[in-house]
Amino acid sequence: MFRIIQRTFTAAALAFTSFAALTAFATPAAQAADKVGFIYVGPRTDFGYNFAMDQGRLAMEKDMPGTKTVFFENIPENAEVERVMERLISQGFTTIFPTSYGYLDPALKVAAKYPKVTFMHAGGFKLAPNLGTFFADIDEVEFLSGMAAGACTKTGKLGFVAAHPIPQTLRNINAFTLGAQSVNPKATCTIVWTGSWSDPAKEAEAANTLIDGGVDVLTMHVDGPITITQTAEKRGVMVCGYHADASKFAPKGWLTGSAWNWGPLMERIVKSKADGTWKSEHIRGSIKDGYVKLASFGPLVQDSTKKAIGAKEKGFISGTAQWAGAISKQDGSAVTKVGETLPLAKIESMDFLVAGVKGTLK
Amino acid sequence: MDVAMFLAGFVVSGLRSCTPLFYVLLGETLTERVGVVNLGVEGQMLIGAFFGFAMTVWTGNPWLGMLAGAAAGMALSIVHGLLCVTLKANFFASGVALWMLGGGLSAYFGINLVGQKIDGFPSIPWGPFAHIPVLGQALAQLTPTVLLSLFIGPVVGFWLFRTRPGLHWRAVGESAEAARTMGIVPERIKWQGILAGGFLSGFGGASLSVDYTRNWIEWMTAGRGLIAVGLVIVARWNPYLALPSAFLFGATEALTLRLQSMGVKVSPYLLSTLPYLVCLAVLVYGYWRARQRGGMPRDLAAAFAHTE
Amino acid sequence: MLFLALCAGFFLLLGKHPLELLWQVALGAFGDKYSTSETLVKTTPILFCALAAAVPARLGLLSVGQSGQFYLGAFVGTFFVLHLPAATPAYLGLPSMLLFAGLGGAAWGVVPGFLRARVGVNETLTTLLFNYVGALLVDWAVYGPWRDPNNLGWPASAPFPAGAIFPGYFGSRLHAGLFIAIALAVGLHILLTRTRWGLMLRVMKSNRKVAESAGMRYGLHVVAVMAIGGALAGLAGICETSAIQGRLQSGVAANYGITGFLVAWMAGQHLIRILPLALVMGAILSASDALQLFAELPSAIAVVMQAMLFLSVLGVAGWRKRKGG
Repeated sequence: MFRIIQRTFTAAALAFTSFAALTAFATPAAQAADKVGFIYVGPRTDFGYNFAMDQGRLAMEKDMPGTKTVFFENIPENAEVERVMERLISQGFTTIFPTSYGYLDPALKVAAKYPKVTFMHAGGFKLAPNLGTFFADIDEVEFLSGMAAGACTKTGKLGFVAAHPIPQTLRNINAFTLGAQSVNPKATCTIVWTGSWSDPAKEAEAANTLIDGGVDVLTMHVDGPITITQTAEKRGVMVCGYHADASKFAPKGWLTGSAWNWGPLMERIVKSKADGTWKSEHIRGSIKDGYVKLASFGPLVQDSTKKAIGAKEKGFISGTAQWAGAISKQDGSAVTKVGETLPLAKIESMDFLVAGVKGTLK
Repeated sequence: MDVAMFLAGFVVSGLRSCTPLFYVLLGETLTERVGVVNLGVEGQMLIGAFFGFAMTVWTGNPWLGMLAGAAAGMALSIVHGLLCVTLKANFFASGVALWMLGGGLSAYFGINLVGQKIDGFPSIPWGPFAHIPVLGQALAQLTPTVLLSLFIGPVVGFWLFRTRPGLHWRAVGESAEAARTMGIVPERIKWQGILAGGFLSGFGGASLSVDYTRNWIEWMTAGRGLIAVGLVIVARWNPYLALPSAFLFGATEALTLRLQSMGVKVSPYLLSTLPYLVCLAVLVYGYWRARQRGGMPRDLAAAFAHTE
Repeated sequence: MLFLALCAGFFLLLGKHPLELLWQVALGAFGDKYSTSETLVKTTPILFCALAAAVPARLGLLSVGQSGQFYLGAFVGTFFVLHLPAATPAYLGLPSMLLFAGLGGAAWGVVPGFLRARVGVNETLTTLLFNYVGALLVDWAVYGPWRDPNNLGWPASAPFPAGAIFPGYFGSRLHAGLFIAIALAVGLHILLTRTRWGLMLRVMKSNRKVAESAGMRYGLHVVAVMAIGGALAGLAGICETSAIQGRLQSGVAANYGITGFLVAWMAGQHLIRILPLALVMGAILSASDALQLFAELPSAIAVVMQAMLFLSVLGVAGWRKRKGG
């Protein structure tokens, strides 16, 4: 009986192959319109990282009517993505946005094969003649967010639910903590790692664990902020958001949050390709360029805090470096001293946690 | 008082996080008791979570949501019943197919649900109990689904071991042919077992989305359905042991997170292996003591052993 | 064929043109050299994992541990490679890497096997649990001790040196692993059907008591088949890591474990029948992006398609069985 299945399958396979052979030459020609491809590591409906990227794509598409965009979601961060990129290229796509950190090496590999295609990787720190990177320093906003947390916390304990210990996450944790400490020197930040970019049950559990331990302000770096935000609200603690403005899920406890605004940056990149000014570089935006922004303030944030945050924000916009001054690691050793600034390469490859953070890194 | 707080908090969080797992575990125990394995419980959980959340968004009533989720899980299990009982197909393959179907369908149709807000269950009015120092705070965190889980295990256990229909179910699980000579129609019982499992796993899924996280995202069960299938064996197909087994796993999971927040300097990944290792240890110990199949219904064992 | 009908129906439901989509899927799987090579690339680990499930099943053991064994093979293989002197030539490096990976996967199969043989613990559960532990072990390694500092903190091991990377053929990602898998399938098939050992396994499976009274040692063979199964999945692990990724990373096993298991069951544990089935699975998986690209359907659709494929196969098979009485 299984022989029948086998025969059916062989027949199907043969049928497919003959169809394919007949139509193998029917690849559609590249159109005049600019074709831009996007690759997301998760679902674009996560209300978080991928959602923000997709919002950028949509904004760009609206502003640039001649562009055709296509997206792939749930592509894992390994060599799988190479196949996806190859497919895009074979269909005439000339600009590709691999939007997740882990796509960097596969992207470099494919970029080497197709010098005419432009790759813009989010968050990486390697370059190739046809591959550039872009990112926005959300750590500045995390610092501001931390300030709000530090000012509003009553127990002095902040909590951070994070997925994986990658540099971007460490930057966020450190920035948040430093921001809190700038208004509340005794504030500590406890981390719980969920080990997964998206696992709502674990996120809820992690949030509950932190709250049980005395934390009264939560924040997070996972793909979807909703679960943690809601858990915080239910338990009556405060929350700072990430990726997108989720204040509607925590009307009482929402303090503020960091949000992405990718549209203008993506537009800028695609336009530069169209008019020939594109070059391979690390584009880093910040609050100054509007690629990241602070979410709206919640009811618990005092006016004095808002003023202080506003002032610091102006400072960042006018060029004050964030990773400067006296910063020390968990074990007490100094990273930078007063008057020093951390260089970009060290920031992008951050592998430590600052003093005041409770938790391990590996 | 700190230790008491810690323990209470720990027990409560363990209970809360294992509740979805428990319902699926109970459902699959029943299904396996009639001699059918359903690996598709994860898909049933997901579709239950999706329908539960959708219904709650639509009507604003979490109870309706739970019911809708359970119904959805049951509906999906009909496919399994069709394939395994009516068409006598291989039930492992059918289960996995169901898993993917449930997951894929819920992921697809659930796209518009992400970002919707629901209120979940209102807090239980504990009245005077709420003022007891440690217990009060612990009780405040319990929701109706968790409370239900405390009672339903023993109820089902009683039904299975002490009532006539329960006896019939067990008979079918031990040997469908022998049951037939007793006048029982095994196919009907198997259908009932599958549908009951579907109902409970849909309920479990709904409890995850409507109650525990009040959120919907695709594939949100993260493998818990499959763990439940494994835990059925740990629970020795005994409904009375369903909650303890689920709690064992859920509490260990909660423990690893708690250890992290206390600053334990071990890699979170190694810590995460704890729940599985603990279950393994309990399992091995149980088998060591029993030195036998460990209570697996005989027909089921036959299904596991034969490969056709 | 029912599958095609179901898919067509589903697509229509979604408001898309069914024939065109199915066409695209076919193209996506075999449409050009690249697609075909990608299909074969996907087929390789599925094939290994299917064999890994089928061998223990010959003794009546239901092992779902292919995923964990995959990870252990990748883990141990990577361990070996990381300690290899850089200039080792491929003809030495590759076979030994394979050997170590095989041993690693085998170990992960042996423990559940041993527990089953000695204490009677159900191997389905132990292998299931071991899957998670295996994956976490790799996670620990790449986020911790093996994290390559040159990678700017991104979790992955150092890239494998040239002597440890499987060469690709025809400028594609197709690699020798496929041929090794096919050779093993044929070899094991012969072993299991035409040798005395294969006969012994069959006897032990159908009637353990008779076999033991004839002097066969059930426990030993349990461990043996679990070891072989584990080694096969372990090979899949190192092939994917070496040939496709070029370094150890989290999540390499993806769905290959369960897909392989499914293929084995659908093929009735018949090692040769596994070959075409694995190919069809590989085709579907590799063509699923075609759907995302052309129909602009979300990734969930590919999963639904796969599900419908299984369901229709099972439905048809069951229907025929019923008809046949």
